[in-house]
Amino acid sequence: MENATVSYIQLLREDLAIFRVVPEGPFPEYKAGQFLTLGLPVKSENNRVINRAYSIASHPENKKYFEFVIRWVRKPYPGRLTTAMFNLKEGDPIQWRKANGTLTINDKLPNGEPDKRRIVCIGGGTGLAPFVSFAQHLHDIGDKREIVVLHGASYVDELSYRERLTDLELESIDRGTDKWNFKYRAAISRPQEWLNRSWTGQVGRVEQFLRARPGRVSPLEELVGEKITQDNTMFYICGWQGTIDGTLDFLGNKEFVTERNKREDGSYEVKFESYG
Amino acid sequence: MGLAKEVVTTQDNEKLCSDVLFSHESVRFVGLVNNKSDLLFSTQKPDLDPLLDEDEIRISINYSLERWRKAQNLSFRLGTEKLTLTEYEHVTLISIPYQENLLLISTQPTVHYHDVVQSIIAAIPPWGI
Repeated sequence: MENATVSYIQLLREDLAIFRVVPEGPFPEYKAGQFLTLGLPVKSENNRVINRAYSIASHPENKKYFEFVIRWVRKPYPGRLTTAMFNLKEGDPIQWRKANGTLTINDKLPNGEPDKRRIVCIGGGTGLAPFVSFAQHLHDIGDKREIVVLHGASYVDELSYRERLTDLELESIDRGTDKWNFKYRAAISRPQEWLNRSWTGQVGRVEQFLRARPGRVSPLEELVGEKITQDNTMFYICGWQGTIDGTLDFLGNKEFVTERNKREDGSYEVKFESYG
Repeated sequence: MGLAKEVVTTQDNEKLCSDVLFSHESVRFVGLVNNKSDLLFSTQKPDLDPLLDEDEIRISINYSLERWRKAQNLSFRLGTEKLTLTEYEHVTLISIPYQENLLLISTQPTVHYHDVVQSIIAAIPPWGI
């Protein structure tokens, strides 16, 4: 493994934080949406190094640091690495292994033509991370596709990148969607809780964005202003298995096909990565 | 009470809250909330001046649930939480996990809260934690 330094820790909640990691030596290449394996010696394991993979929230054009949004696993037992990470201080060393992962942006269709379909990203909890990378990467390279980022969380203070993604949408409005076409929405699954009392947006699990309501189209179709089809939309999903299953349940009924079950011609409309 | 959304109100919940309310003369209020802040049932002694308004009660429920959730993070070492008691000047608040829910109880301030707790626990059917 390679050496790095933790340069920044922003605690969003007791159990949710943003970490920045600066590698020693030249900054490595990677693709938006990939994950990095981080490692730390863990006291309870006789200082054996424990490794875990985390989606990179920063984008490849940012050569200053890797950024991650990480939840401290607490139950049923504390996660060994996340417990060590939440005890870190800025300046502490950390180890890393090269980026990997296939939840990356498709730029071309199987026939070699450019993939100009709308990109819809669905992230549950910290499963938002690869899509923060997507959004910043597509912004920096001047991609003209329509990008929709949908984030699901239980509480408003878990909307980890709300400010950054809202700013990207405001820029889209200011510059015009012909130059930068970006939308961001979130869903809160426990709207009745006191902490969420200010929330007036979508409620329920994030996949509710896809479900038509009685007499109305789905919130996603309302947002983009047209029917979602295999020809106009490519879905990327990341989160716990429940988020993946809930979303695939809806998309499968609409005959959307995942990368793992692609058609004979190589076409598909859904890529996903699950945690745990 | 118009607090958090009242959902399923079963006879079991009503009986539980009622039994606890009348388990000791100093008990003022009993409520049962689930871990999503839904108030499943609540009841209180008549003719008592409320100490908190509706918004403050929601805050109080939120604090109790937050504390309960955080306490569970150490249960792998300390075991399952059985009871928490907070003694204020004007009231004593007791929370007791019951099945998947949290029983919230307020009592008159008293230095003999051990007796109150004993009476309350005796009124709660065993559920096998």
